[in-house]
Amino acid sequence: MINRQVDALFSRRALIAAAGGSALFGGLIARLFQLQILNGEKYQTAAKENGIRSILAPPLRGQILDRFGRPLASHRQAGRASIVREQTNDVAATLREVAKHIELSEELQELIVRTASRRAAFEPTIVARELSYEDFAKLSLRAPDIPGLVVEMAQTRSYPRGRDFAHVLGYVARASQDDMTRLTADVSSDEGNALRRLFKHPDMRTGRSGVERFAEEWLRGEPGWRRVESNAAGRIIRELPSDDTAPKPGRDLHLTVDAELQKVAIDRFGTESGAAVVMDIETGDILAFVSTPAFDPNDFVNGISQADYDLLRFNDRSPLYHKAYDGTYPPGSTYKMVVATAALEAGVIDPRERVYCPGHYRFGNNTWHCWKKEGHGSVDMHSAIKGSCDVYFYEVAKRVGIEKLAETSRKFGFGQRWDLGLHGGRSGVVPDNAWKLQARGEPWFEGETLNVGIGQGQVSSSPLQLAIMTARIAAEGRLISPQIIGEGPRPESDIPFDEPLDPDFMRRMKAGMFGVTSEWGGTALRSGDLGLGGPRLAGKTGTAQVRRISREERATGILKGDDIDRKLRDHALFVAYAPHDDPKYAISVIVEHGEGGSKTAAPIARDIMAAAMQMDARRTPNYMRTASRLSGSSSGGL
Amino acid sequence: MATAGASGLNFSRRTLFSSFTSLPWGLILLICGMAVIGVATLYSATFTNPAEADLPMRQATRLTAALLVLIFVGLVPLSVWLKLAWPAYLVTVILLIAVEFFGVTGGGAQRWLQIGPIAVQPSEFMKVTLTLALAAYYHKHWNDSSGGFLIHFPALILILVPAALIFRQPDFGTTLALFASGGVLIFLGGLYKRVIFSVAAIAVASVPLVYMFVLQDYQRERVDTYLAQLTGQSVNVMDDGYQIEQAKIAIGSGGWTGKGYMEGTQSQLDYIPEQHTDFILTVVAEEFGFLATSGVLLLWMLILGMGMVIAMRAASLFGRFAAVGAVATVAFYILFNVAMVLGLLPVVGVPLPLLSYGGTVMLTTAGCFGLVCAVHLGRDEALHGK
Repeated sequence: MINRQVDALFSRRALIAAAGGSALFGGLIARLFQLQILNGEKYQTAAKENGIRSILAPPLRGQILDRFGRPLASHRQAGRASIVREQTNDVAATLREVAKHIELSEELQELIVRTASRRAAFEPTIVARELSYEDFAKLSLRAPDIPGLVVEMAQTRSYPRGRDFAHVLGYVARASQDDMTRLTADVSSDEGNALRRLFKHPDMRTGRSGVERFAEEWLRGEPGWRRVESNAAGRIIRELPSDDTAPKPGRDLHLTVDAELQKVAIDRFGTESGAAVVMDIETGDILAFVSTPAFDPNDFVNGISQADYDLLRFNDRSPLYHKAYDGTYPPGSTYKMVVATAALEAGVIDPRERVYCPGHYRFGNNTWHCWKKEGHGSVDMHSAIKGSCDVYFYEVAKRVGIEKLAETSRKFGFGQRWDLGLHGGRSGVVPDNAWKLQARGEPWFEGETLNVGIGQGQVSSSPLQLAIMTARIAAEGRLISPQIIGEGPRPESDIPFDEPLDPDFMRRMKAGMFGVTSEWGGTALRSGDLGLGGPRLAGKTGTAQVRRISREERATGILKGDDIDRKLRDHALFVAYAPHDDPKYAISVIVEHGEGGSKTAAPIARDIMAAAMQMDARRTPNYMRTASRLSGSSSGGL
Repeated sequence: MATAGASGLNFSRRTLFSSFTSLPWGLILLICGMAVIGVATLYSATFTNPAEADLPMRQATRLTAALLVLIFVGLVPLSVWLKLAWPAYLVTVILLIAVEFFGVTGGGAQRWLQIGPIAVQPSEFMKVTLTLALAAYYHKHWNDSSGGFLIHFPALILILVPAALIFRQPDFGTTLALFASGGVLIFLGGLYKRVIFSVAAIAVASVPLVYMFVLQDYQRERVDTYLAQLTGQSVNVMDDGYQIEQAKIAIGSGGWTGKGYMEGTQSQLDYIPEQHTDFILTVVAEEFGFLATSGVLLLWMLILGMGMVIAMRAASLFGRFAAVGAVATVAFYILFNVAMVLGLLPVVGVPLPLLSYGGTVMLTTAGCFGLVCAVHLGRDEALHGK
């Protein structure tokens, strides 16, 4: 047991300690009473007037530049008026006051009142954006007398090249519920909540399509805080220094495209609708990526009206659609190089072997026709490519068989989606037995192989894939890595494309393509001369059937031109590279419903190619120059 | 089994189940009640900021874990704690020395020790283990009241060693807390009154010297700010003074009954930095007013008072000192924190147990009350076996 004396002393001291502690607690309560009750009124006033706030400051989105540093997506200043509910007693009254100075319909006023009432009291609700200069000036002048009204300049995403890069860049918009879900799918709940809060800011936009969507994180930057002092009404009186909390702007992103070449290409299409892809054979840089007609991404930044959107959506030239990347068409005769390569690889035909073309080809109980009704006569591989003889390729395709055709097609880059770092992109179809069983539930018929042999029927490809095929032929089978993001986030499948292709075979294909534009009997003889006094272009025409030609039509003579509805006319295709003796550029062009490759597509391809060469579009991009200057090493070249 | 040592005997006399049912459940319930108030307040403090939306849930999870720690500590027999007292103290001092060399710096001070995936703050453990060590010391050496004041020297050294190490980190708040709760134990140990008065006099006299020669710049700034606002000068709004001023506005504007749950404009508009950690009381004060806030303080007094009653009933000196030390440790957290929030003390960065968001203080609190529970269960043991 504890010594009695000790026990007594301890107990006494413990009581003293407890009493002392209680006294201290009592002191705190007294202080609380002093602050809350005695001085309560003073602090309540202070709370109302409380001046210093941190306001979320969204980051400035990074610019998107072309290969020579020309801005494709940047910013412009736009005047904006918004209303903060907690700073006014009556939102409706404030709006009526605003309506005296700028045009603001009553419906819109009601809508704003409703929107504001659903938000937190301190969140601003937009009243008008894109204020004209006069309106901005008028409102700014009166704002101090209108409670709750905030008039400010804001940075708005702008696309200085308008429609030219609509599909490549995509566009930004306020984050919708779907966007929020997508943006926060792969992050922790903390980050997700921070993102949600950020994207509710009226200045925040998120990429909806194209590079804007793919490179969202690269471009976004990091938000910060502005510290501001405000008066009793909540009006911001002055900004306090907040350099340490300033938002971090997003990074700039460089594309490999040349904005000037893109413009030339689009202008060259005129009123035609179609797509073109120009590629640097050596580096795989995509220099032009055209899909026309296009929409203006500027219209989407602040939300597009339903009426305007419907105009785009129901336009039969599908301006919303990225024809060069998302569009898949039968490759038509441009596919004949693939078929010929497959035949050489399989060893089923000697290139010198001659096939007789009487203008049609019999197989089983059916007859297949050559585009040249009277026939090509006796043709070998070279003249078959040059004259695009269908009969020759029916025969060759039959010998090769669909499985081998599919294998070779894939080596050329068909049947796979090329991940360039744009949202979208389609793989097209490389048909074979397995594909048909899965897609149609029935086995492959040999007759279908003949259609595939001339690039019709089930086979389909995008203009991008045709450009890649052409580049691989022109490079005599060397690896190629198509890319459109020069400096920015790398797409996942950022690997060079290096399926083996025999250089000897490729040289035969090149000879055939040179024949098309430059030898007697070539189908695009008029488009071989680039008009640059020397270098010629080598290419291949194609026509993609939009519908089957019926027996009656064939009997009565094929309908052409104005006789049939535009929508039923064939697509015109042309693929080419230049200069023919030292290939630098590859191009593919499709003119929707342009009828014949040599008639509409080839002249467009030739003119774009000539422009590319004249401009020297493939010269070293700006971002590589700075990169090599900084790091002392160049990542260019091979 | 019956012939086992004293501690073994104690343990085998009770079954684990009967120990469990004999825990001071009234005390534990009050603690849980305080924790619920804490989570609700935290919810109000964080709900406008989606980035902090899951803090209340995390806090609730931690509280549950802390409750388990409390019960576990409480169920360990007092005799075992007596045996563990010295080793625990030594290990913690070694950890403090390790912080000196391998510590992780955070917020301008080197307090954390990274052990594998977890970061521990040995200075927090020190609060519990110092209490244990002092209790064990007085248990063994204080046999009659005539021991003279020399027996308090070793106790003072027990306090000074860790206090010096923690001061070097630097962590002024924890150093003060160690001196305060250690001082309470020495006071209970029967230190002569005249010594107490002399020490107090010397302490007051040395304040200016400490200010000029011991404090770090940032600590000195805090004291300056504190003095400035105490005397009613306007302070630099961007610094600590801003925090105190905003806290005072939040608290003061609460009035008798407050602005209503989640209606506090100060709290909801992010005026107060750290309002979910050290300044959580501002949210209670603003939203629930004077009545509720003083109610919270009274509830704390009740909890601490129950701890004191348990201490007084213990048969062993170890039990008494341990329980009082534990109560004092928590009490000083509260006193420092509330005084700081109310602008009576400089901002020293002490959290409010069970209310502030944060895991370390919760663990210390759970350890302290666990110890009180262990004293309660072992109140009849004299612990002479040693």
